[in-house]
Amino acid sequence: MATDKELTDFLKNVEKRAFKRTAYAVRDDDAALDIVQDSMIRLAEKYADRPPAELPLVFQRILSNATMDWFRRQKVRNAVMTNLSDFDGGNEDSDFDLLELLATVEGSLGAESAADTVGREQILLLIEKEIALLPGRQREAFLLRYWEELDVAETATVMGCSEGSVKTHCSRAVHALAKSLRAKGITP
Amino acid sequence: MNSTATHSATDADRLEARFGLRIGALLNEQAQRTPHDVSERLRVAREQAVARARATRLAPASATAPADVVIGRGRSATLGRQPGWLFRFASVMPLIVLVAGLIAIDEWHDRQQIEAAADVDTALLADELPPDAYSDAGFVEFLKQNDPQ
Repeated sequence: MATDKELTDFLKNVEKRAFKRTAYAVRDDDAALDIVQDSMIRLAEKYADRPPAELPLVFQRILSNATMDWFRRQKVRNAVMTNLSDFDGGNEDSDFDLLELLATVEGSLGAESAADTVGREQILLLIEKEIALLPGRQREAFLLRYWEELDVAETATVMGCSEGSVKTHCSRAVHALAKSLRAKGITP
Repeated sequence: MNSTATHSATDADRLEARFGLRIGALLNEQAQRTPHDVSERLRVAREQAVARARATRLAPASATAPADVVIGRGRSATLGRQPGWLFRFASVMPLIVLVAGLIAIDEWHDRQQIEAAADVDTALLADELPPDAYSDAGFVEFLKQNDPQ
């Protein structure tokens, strides 16, 4: 059973990422705060007796469900489904050299961070914007895997899909992000 | 050929993971710059959640107590601070009184009938006319003829 301190530490650690992740999805800061708050309270009421190690996965699941509930309430499910079905993008271009692009974008980010704080801040905002533009499932898979640092199986549990789907969503998200960042000029 | 393809796929996975984690680190950096009002709302939400969790943890310990309290209150509202057996006794008291009353009425009615029969027997035995006369058909006819009505 998680103590008050363990629960506080966990929520303090996860709350800002949860807010940002939700804000990317719903594109409304107030709604994102409400969803995060509801998720915290739901976690506290129903899962306070769980051991601390289980809290991250349970919380991510609650947050995802709460976000979906919000979309249902807002009656924008059709818009969401449009995003979800948007998997057949232009990522499969034959002349698109993924390895080269990933390497150059990664190098670009490192170079920018060392060069100029203001430029770095702009890059961060740009990355946030591009992540918000990702299709919903791709964004969720990408953020759970690489921001919340869940493994593939945990991400699949939270998203309610297969591990293969998680890998596919993540891969497509990485490709889309790398491509759009290069298009914005974040390349050498 | 296959080895090269597998190697490339592994490299691609590794690059994707490195890219993703790099982006994740940058997002972490950006998340720390959330506006003050958002941070405050998150803090309040967190404190509410912790308080709710504390209340939930305490609830099971007192889960059985409220039932007793509720029953106790019900009794005290009806009969003050009397114990339970008196409350139950008072509940069946009207029924006991009703049954006892019916038995007493039945007993009184039987006694009345016995007393009436005794009076008749006494009158017959005390009369000058012997009781066997009432079983004689000629005497009954005599009584009918001499009846003033």
